[in-house]
Amino acid sequence: MKRMALIVLAIMLALLTACAGGSPTGATGASPAASPATAASPSPAAAPAVTATAASGTDLPDLGGREVRIAVENAYPPFNYINPQTNQPEGWDYDAWREICRLLNCKPVFQEAAWEGLIQAVANGQYDAAADGITITPERAQQVDFSDGYIRVDQRLLARKGEKRFASMEEFVANPQLRLGTQTGTTNYETAKQLLPENRIQAFEQFPFAVQALINGDVDAVIMDETAGQGYVGTNAEQLELIGPPIKSDELGFIFPKGSDLVEPVNRALAVMRENGTLDALSKKYFSAEFKLPGSQ
Amino acid sequence: MAIEHEAPGVVHRPPLETSSLRTFPWWLVAILLAIAYMVVKIVVDPTYQDAFLTIVSGLGVTIYVTIIAFVAALVIGLLAGLGRISHNIVLRNLAITYIEFVRGVPILVLIFTIAFVVVPGAVSIFGLNNSSVTLTTRAIIALSMIYGAFLAEVFRAGIEAIPRGQMEAARSLGLTNYQAMRLVILPQAIRNVLPALGNDFIAMLKDSSLVSVLGVRDLTQVSRLYASTSFRFTETYFILTFFYLVMTLVLSLLLQWYQRRLRIER
Repeated sequence: MKRMALIVLAIMLALLTACAGGSPTGATGASPAASPATAASPSPAAAPAVTATAASGTDLPDLGGREVRIAVENAYPPFNYINPQTNQPEGWDYDAWREICRLLNCKPVFQEAAWEGLIQAVANGQYDAAADGITITPERAQQVDFSDGYIRVDQRLLARKGEKRFASMEEFVANPQLRLGTQTGTTNYETAKQLLPENRIQAFEQFPFAVQALINGDVDAVIMDETAGQGYVGTNAEQLELIGPPIKSDELGFIFPKGSDLVEPVNRALAVMRENGTLDALSKKYFSAEFKLPGSQ
Repeated sequence: MAIEHEAPGVVHRPPLETSSLRTFPWWLVAILLAIAYMVVKIVVDPTYQDAFLTIVSGLGVTIYVTIIAFVAALVIGLLAGLGRISHNIVLRNLAITYIEFVRGVPILVLIFTIAFVVVPGAVSIFGLNNSSVTLTTRAIIALSMIYGAFLAEVFRAGIEAIPRGQMEAARSLGLTNYQAMRLVILPQAIRNVLPALGNDFIAMLKDSSLVSVLGVRDLTQVSRLYASTSFRFTETYFILTFFYLVMTLVLSLLLQWYQRRLRIER
């Protein structure tokens, strides 16, 4: 009987190796094959079918004080981060959602979550919303509902100060010695994947690791959204700088589970905040060159 | 009652092998069925195929990292294990410090610490550029240092299991302490610890998935990248599970076979 089981196993393994044997050719073809999901990115406008209602601001919906569970990463400054001086989480997402909930009469409950799988967790309904500088893409819009975009950001290269080997993404791509850092599951990673072979991309769990790797010299640049990049330059102004022209421009939005009844109210609150200058004020506070993370010089 | 009339000392045990149905490895059949299901899925379902072809590209890195780190861990473990039972007070305490240190810290924490603190620190002492030690190398260093401590205890147990008389006999034949250890004790000890080493190899194969946090493109990292951009979490994690399961199952069966052979030989 044992022998029979072993024979069965041997057959299974033969099957498996047959599958794997086909893979070396398949694996090289895999990156383009895997990319239908990533290919369509440059049309953020096509993504959410949400219409921006030009709200007058007086007739905002009332959510009746209900709790809204908002997933944040707390590792993506200036959107969300832990203030090292107070140990309290803060950032653009916190300010924005507190204002949204003030307008709509809801109670924001922020829950820390890992970025990887965050979108999936929202799609599964584990959270009512997520705020993490999430780029609006058609692929993601198939999983979750997006709010209207609240800011448009460029993807840029973050490099060590005084970098001379490259001054733009084209020059970076042209030099096969250079390695690019980014974060798993971000649109920055997808952009990198379109421009570079995978063995030149190092994807970390969170951007802080990628930036640390850049400072350490493990990678030569990090591709990230300019808003976040400014946050890191603010922390490490003597070590880091954003270089080169924008690589790609995207709009960011909040995400909700499919069919969420929060999308429409939040969009109306965002419209009010856009009209009365709240969004501008927040941008000035967090995304301007003057913004520095607490605790930095 | 029949039992009362039986001779004292007769112990009633259930018959050892009543039928082959009892000893048939049903668990193996269940796992093999699961594997077979995955194989069929991969062959017929294009989304599974797509995920499989992407994930398989990490297989080489996983195997490479595991094997190199395990060989290094064997060396570290043997040295630390010998140090652990050494009569030299400095060597012994150094070894114990290392072993207890590693065993007291979670593997994930050690990987981060070694990759982002210890290695950059060590590299800067030699005035080298950080990038001269890639993150894959750091992952291997971390894994081998961690498993070196585990293996040290395995070696120590194996050596201590050899009867004291063996050493005494070897010494009375005129061998030096070192010769006795190398020629008499270690060959026997290593034979003793081989099954345990096999178990640790399987454990390391699984723990190698932790190096994905450094961005090393092993099976787990490739899967995480794929799942988080394609949103095919089901396919990805089924296939990832399938990969590890096939590898550990093969190793585990080999180990069982080897242990059975060892038993007959004795």
